[in-house]
Amino acid sequence: MQITFWGVRGSYPVPGAATVRYGGQTSCVETRTASGDTLIVDAGTGMRALGNKLFREAPEPQHYHVLLSHVHWDHIQGLPFFSPAYVPGTKISVYALLTAADELHQVIGGITRHEFFPMPLEAIPAVFEFHQVEPGVELDINGFHITPIALNHPFGSVGYRIDGDGSSWAYVADTAPFTEVLHKQHFLPGPEPLSDDDKLALAAMREALVRRLTGVDTVIYDTHFLPDEYAKFPHYGHSTPDQAIEICVESGVRRLVLYHHAPSHGDDQMDRIAAEYLSQGAKKNIEVLTSFEGMTLPIGPEGT
Amino acid sequence: MKIRFWGVRGSFAMSGREFLRYGGNTTSVELLTDAKQRLLIDLGTGATELAKQLMGSEFGKGKGTLPILLSHTHLDHIQGLPFFAPFFIKGNEIRILGAAPLSGISLEATLQNQLAPHYSPLSGLENLAAGVTIETITPGEAITLPGFEVVTAAVPHGSMWTTAYRITADGKTVTFLSDVEYPSIDDPLPEALALAHEADLLIHDAMHADHDYDMRKGWGHSPARAGVVVAERAGVKKLALFHHSPDATDDMIDEVVERTAARTTVPVIAAAEGNYLDV
Repeated sequence: MQITFWGVRGSYPVPGAATVRYGGQTSCVETRTASGDTLIVDAGTGMRALGNKLFREAPEPQHYHVLLSHVHWDHIQGLPFFSPAYVPGTKISVYALLTAADELHQVIGGITRHEFFPMPLEAIPAVFEFHQVEPGVELDINGFHITPIALNHPFGSVGYRIDGDGSSWAYVADTAPFTEVLHKQHFLPGPEPLSDDDKLALAAMREALVRRLTGVDTVIYDTHFLPDEYAKFPHYGHSTPDQAIEICVESGVRRLVLYHHAPSHGDDQMDRIAAEYLSQGAKKNIEVLTSFEGMTLPIGPEGT
Repeated sequence: MKIRFWGVRGSFAMSGREFLRYGGNTTSVELLTDAKQRLLIDLGTGATELAKQLMGSEFGKGKGTLPILLSHTHLDHIQGLPFFAPFFIKGNEIRILGAAPLSGISLEATLQNQLAPHYSPLSGLENLAAGVTIETITPGEAITLPGFEVVTAAVPHGSMWTTAYRITADGKTVTFLSDVEYPSIDDPLPEALALAHEADLLIHDAMHADHDYDMRKGWGHSPARAGVVVAERAGVKKLALFHHSPDATDDMIDEVVERTAARTTVPVIAAAEGNYLDV
């Protein structure tokens, strides 16, 4: 199995001279088994370039599978720009957590409302099919075994453990750590005091995450913030590399990939972050890599 | 009056080396009068770059005022809204002016939808700390903003309408005609010609290279040539090609400018992210 990063940025796309090396597009990762089965995780702006590549590889209609962590704009904006969707006969199965009162097809279809995009989802030639996921309820998709994991993010988010070809990786984004803030379904102007129930809920979420990550080859983690930035915005729903390393230590994970980079972190700063956490991780026997657009990683002992 | 292009790209923000000279950010244009009064057109990703600069000024202290004109609400023109930092500072007064996107759907409801809780952690306009007013324009009306006189018109953009603007300040006029496709390229609409009449600068949709246009007719965007026709008929002093295709690399845009300039006596540039320019 292998994974390829098509968008590594958080929040919004950042063009310009400061992002040419790490990339400016938002969340989108492709994974592929040795036999060529693929799965797309998140549909951020990186999905446009992925779509163009997939179309070049196989212009005839395909069945694509897209797992969404949640439906914030930076994780869904690429969907209407995925060129294979305009090939009649294409089928796109979307898997997501339901966090709104509306049905999934309304929530995801809502990004192509007439006010926002010239063509509604129903008019796009591909047939879309929506599947609701629930944390802990495992599913088999296109040769992959998937375990959704609840994460701590405004209005809810899920990570995924993905097993295939006898190895596994996990996508842990977007999530805040499991300490100061419990994200629920309301707007947070700042951190709220935690009730005892909140503390229990956070501990349970953290415990389940650690358990699901145990034995995983590679973990991709939302490390949007540096510690000083996190201290200012603990209620934004994102983590630091330090917090990701802590979870990996507890899960016995040996390879961590920093992901969902803050839009303000330019290439030079990303180089410093990469070097700093490579060395921090080494002290804990964890290989810490920093994702960039176009990076491909083999997963598993043989690295297919 | 000065102008600065913060975002010139259409449809989709493009990062990477091939897009550095013209820039990959989506639509956002700043106008500044000699007396430093400011007006912004559109809130594409380019607006997030302007936001950083504004935060170093009175906007960082909650004392900024800014009117923003929206051409329409397709995502590439509003995707910078949730990340425009002056919205997060209490005391700033920001006006968003634009037409209702469609009959039956107000501008305010549309922006609320953009910030709906499942799409954005801001969960609604009411959570922006700044004072934000949403003002609905009826295209065709004239508006007076501090330092600027604005004339508006509705122009066709595929299956919807966009609002085009003629903006006058310090005795100079800029016309903004983006996201427009005329029923006939050789016969631009009288509304467009009136807005562009003897403008010092015409910013015009040039999403498509002329040779690509036949395949993309009806998509709501113009080929580069459409701006030339408007500029010549309206006696415009300078034409800026705008809303570049996400597929157009710097070298491809260079070529479009060269070909377009060769067919007219109107000076032609391609809008590019960069510094303040005198109108």
